[in-house]
Amino acid sequence: MKLQYSALALAAALGLSTAAQAQNCELKIGAMGPMSGGAAQWGLAMAGATELAAAEVNSAGGIKMGGKTCKVVVVPYDSKYTADAAAAGSNAFAAQDIKLIVGPVGSPEATGIKPVAARNEQLAWNAAYAKNALEPKFPLMFHIAPGPAVWSDTVIKAAMKVFPMKTVALIAPNDQGGTDIASVDAEAYKANGVTTTEEYYQRGTTNFAPIVTRILAAKPDVVDTASSPPGDAGVIIKQLRLAGFTGAIGRLGGPGTDEIVRVAGGLDVVQNFYWFETVATDEPKVKEIDALYKKMLGKDPVGGTALWADLPAARMTLKAVAAAGTDDAKAVAEALRKLPVEDPNMGKGYWTGKKQFGIAQELHFPFGVGIIKDGKNLGVARQEAKPD
Amino acid sequence: MEQFLQAGIIGISLGAQYALLALGFTLIFGILGVVNFSHGGFYMLGGYVAYACVDRLGVPYPVAVLAAVGTTAALGWVFELLLIERLVDDHLATLMLTLGLYLVMSTAMLEVFGPLAMDFRFPITGALRFGPVYAPLENLVVLGICLTAIMGLWLVLFRTDIGRALRALADDRAVAMAQGLRPKLLFPAAFALATGLAGLTGALVTPILSLSPGVADPVLATSFLTVILGGLGSLGGAALAAFIVGIVEAYSSVYFGGSIGALILFVLVLLLLVFRPTGLLGREVRGA
Repeated sequence: MKLQYSALALAAALGLSTAAQAQNCELKIGAMGPMSGGAAQWGLAMAGATELAAAEVNSAGGIKMGGKTCKVVVVPYDSKYTADAAAAGSNAFAAQDIKLIVGPVGSPEATGIKPVAARNEQLAWNAAYAKNALEPKFPLMFHIAPGPAVWSDTVIKAAMKVFPMKTVALIAPNDQGGTDIASVDAEAYKANGVTTTEEYYQRGTTNFAPIVTRILAAKPDVVDTASSPPGDAGVIIKQLRLAGFTGAIGRLGGPGTDEIVRVAGGLDVVQNFYWFETVATDEPKVKEIDALYKKMLGKDPVGGTALWADLPAARMTLKAVAAAGTDDAKAVAEALRKLPVEDPNMGKGYWTGKKQFGIAQELHFPFGVGIIKDGKNLGVARQEAKPD
Repeated sequence: MEQFLQAGIIGISLGAQYALLALGFTLIFGILGVVNFSHGGFYMLGGYVAYACVDRLGVPYPVAVLAAVGTTAALGWVFELLLIERLVDDHLATLMLTLGLYLVMSTAMLEVFGPLAMDFRFPITGALRFGPVYAPLENLVVLGICLTAIMGLWLVLFRTDIGRALRALADDRAVAMAQGLRPKLLFPAAFALATGLAGLTGALVTPILSLSPGVADPVLATSFLTVILGGLGSLGGAALAAFIVGIVEAYSSVYFGGSIGALILFVLVLLLLVFRPTGLLGREVRGA
């Protein structure tokens, strides 16, 4: 026993253990998103990505801040896909002196957190596809990936090669999380010579049979589920097929294809489907993230491809903290803007957003277009990112 | 015309599902005077129990449905006996208790099964087609079971001694107790009956729609809306209102869209509360 104490004392005195050094202080970083309810997958992915980035830094000995080496601790917050919960989350983090937030996810959350996080002088990353996801008046807000204004044209052109279409009916929730995406998608379809109709539903709708009946009365070639949550989109597809709809179904919205196919009843039911993927999910380096997560955290990842898409933001935040030597939000934001857009799994990307939002604080990595044809998954084709 | 007929079929199907949920909700209020905020949770739990039986234990679906009814009824019985019973006359306390139970249930399902929707499918698929109009077979089966369950509940409440005893407690608890009726036995039975109905609905409907920890919230909202429309505590009112809600939802969504359809339902309830505050068949004062 005496020998053990002596060894410990010696190790502490000499500072030989990097893990021990990392205990000098703690860097608390917030992870925010819906962690319950229909969109829980996306919030849990945000927390999982942040935990993985933190585990990578901690296993390398911690992060240096002000002469100390700190352990990164992730504090999750369930912002419930609502504006008020996201605003409350910002205040809850401020009460714990948390200045850096990876999240939130949805447009209502992004709208809710922006003014409150600005007042609390917090840096945050939202993943919303809102038309105002970034604004020059909120310089501490960053964007995890571009919205449909950037990628919808590429997806539509790829889809039209496989599924010829003249008319599309878009369906999405009737809040900002739905209308901001479906209206941009509609413009992109129109720019490609496709006539569109938009159909909106109350979030929380469970049975879409009446809306499906209404949509099919217009006899569209394609129905696009836009940013409907994956569970909703799965039910919509199931009920469209039951009603006799044989056309292709699109998804120019958030990730969740695996869940959509599962809820719909399998590839045999889905039949013909095209979708946007935030990252090029068939790339071997991207797929490695799941194994890395299991190795670092000792459990299976939750959140599917959304976790992959969120990871670069969490990693770059910690890289910026190391560069700035502090967790002060303004200093970290300044360091972030100077970092090249690079990620070990995603490869190289660009800072974009200047053209759409007037502020270049959006990460843009290569993304993907997925196709299911006649019940067979043809995979996700990589699409290169382009600068503004 | 096709749309009109299709909306009617959808409305009746929705109405039967809402009726099962609303009857359980209003049964608990009518007999115990408790607004059960965990009602949606029992619907969700019924779905998960049936899913676990089918997927993890390989049990046939009909047996899994019975297991879901048994589990949710047993849990309702225990919950009433151990917690609700102690505070049954304190409306605020029971409201918080049932809300707390719901949060425990939904978080437990999130932990055990994860946030994603399960691969849970109804064993019968396909549809009867009459030209452009169709009736999904799964919905017809559920409609048949729902109508049978509603009839069964009516028989229990109006043709058995236990039903008479429950209605007596609902009418005037003090007088019923003076006659020898024992709330400590009958209240848990009423609670179990109601949660079993919610579990039955969950086991039947979640494989048709979807099963995830988030499915309970809309169920509670719909149940509340329906029983307010029918009159809190009124079984006949709940059944009538459920079919009205289903049919209004179907027709308004088909003809005016999903957003306005939802709005029309709330406007309907609002108007009813203004002109008939007790609901369609509700009474002014409940005895319990």
